[in-house]
Amino acid sequence: MRLFTFAGRRRVAALLGCVFALLLAACEKPDPLQATRLLVFGTVVDVATWGVTPKPAQAAFDELRTAFESWHREWHAWEDSPLSRANRAFAAGAGAALTPDLLRLVSDARAWSQASNGLFDPAIGRLVALWGFNQGERPDAPPPPPQAIAELVNAHPSMDDLTVDGEQLRSRNPQLWLDFGGIAKGYAVDRAIERLRARGVQNAIVNAGGNLRAIGSKDGQPWRIGVRDPRGPGVLASLTITGDESVSTSGDYERHFEWQGVRYHHVLDPRSGYPAIGAVAVTVVAESAEKADVASTVLMIAGPTEWRALARALGVTQVLRIDESGQVELTPALAARLHWEVSPPPTLTVVPEP
Amino acid sequence: MSPPAPALHPALRGRLTAGDAVVLALSLAGLVALAVQLWGADARPDTALVRIDGREVLRLSLAEAGQYAVEGPAGTTRVEVRDGRIRCVSSPGPQHLCERAGWLSHAGEVAVGLPNRVSIEVLGRNRRFDSISY
Repeated sequence: MRLFTFAGRRRVAALLGCVFALLLAACEKPDPLQATRLLVFGTVVDVATWGVTPKPAQAAFDELRTAFESWHREWHAWEDSPLSRANRAFAAGAGAALTPDLLRLVSDARAWSQASNGLFDPAIGRLVALWGFNQGERPDAPPPPPQAIAELVNAHPSMDDLTVDGEQLRSRNPQLWLDFGGIAKGYAVDRAIERLRARGVQNAIVNAGGNLRAIGSKDGQPWRIGVRDPRGPGVLASLTITGDESVSTSGDYERHFEWQGVRYHHVLDPRSGYPAIGAVAVTVVAESAEKADVASTVLMIAGPTEWRALARALGVTQVLRIDESGQVELTPALAARLHWEVSPPPTLTVVPEP
Repeated sequence: MSPPAPALHPALRGRLTAGDAVVLALSLAGLVALAVQLWGADARPDTALVRIDGREVLRLSLAEAGQYAVEGPAGTTRVEVRDGRIRCVSSPGPQHLCERAGWLSHAGEVAVGLPNRVSIEVLGRNRRFDSISY
């Protein structure tokens, strides 16, 4: 018998054709998840999109890379930049015209500073520099002398020292030095999300140095967000996001140095001039990356008895705070959606609604 | 004398030849093999990617132990693969964030050394998290 009749061969050819077409279709279908990692802005910026084909996704990534690079050049508090030039002008008692983004940062920062009772204070750039946290590489050196810290704290530079003089800004306080480290990442993430949306991207995550905003979903599946364990190598807890939310964490494990067995981290308390004590990490979930960024910094500075009042003042309801003894406190709104990724889960206290 | 009819469902009799059956069987086997190759491997990530400034410089199998050195703008970053994991052994930088990331074994885990613009990432589709707040 012949294995293949003529009609059979045609059928075989058709079948083979179908199989190859299916395989080709499988090959050509692009991954719905497109992602990139940019080493820009003095940090790591991860961008992911869902449901965007590779070419437009790459175009969006390129735009964001350029944007983050230009923001870095514009907002750097110490390297030659429009902001550092303005800072030098303020110190000399002169006025300075700012770029539109910087004006908006100043105006937002002033509002956050007022809402947080001055705990959020981007005017203490000189203190940041005194501690050496303004440089990429802090030399191995002891903490600054207490006298120098006290002098800057007593000079009390604040956002209220800035005055508008026509189109120019001036400072009443020559010790004011703007450093937007506590807000810039959040602000930039929000602008990046706006740019993605302007390109028609509906589902995306932008994460700048651990400060992230997620919009949309993955074909109806929520984005899965992990929260870093401040004292372990992995993820402490997780939550899902669908729609539009931001998560930011401030921790003492970020920029820091150790001297004679003591850890000094970069979140400075403007009241003392020293790194904030009490909390090792604070995570905030909020409606914008800027708000989450500022709030996580402020609540890291706020002490164990004040943080709830400050959360209320800032309008945040979802907070996770871990203190030096490992005690975990969180608000009911976050407790309801947080999933513990460590076993056993930590002993935790759900505090009353802020 | 005609050969005995193949044992097929009456509805298919006369429509599917032995050749068709062979091709169908081969196709199915091929699809199964593809599925295993494309998805099965992700159950256990087996590849890590080392990038300098976003450019791939090393693609390492986590199944083969070894030590590697890559050159970046700030100097040499050393990586080690052992027991299905990868880690940054040393990388220039004041805070040693790359080293402090420890052993990476799960898909999506990353170690980054900013001064040397190096990133080490375990590849795989089955990432547990889309993004990490840190």
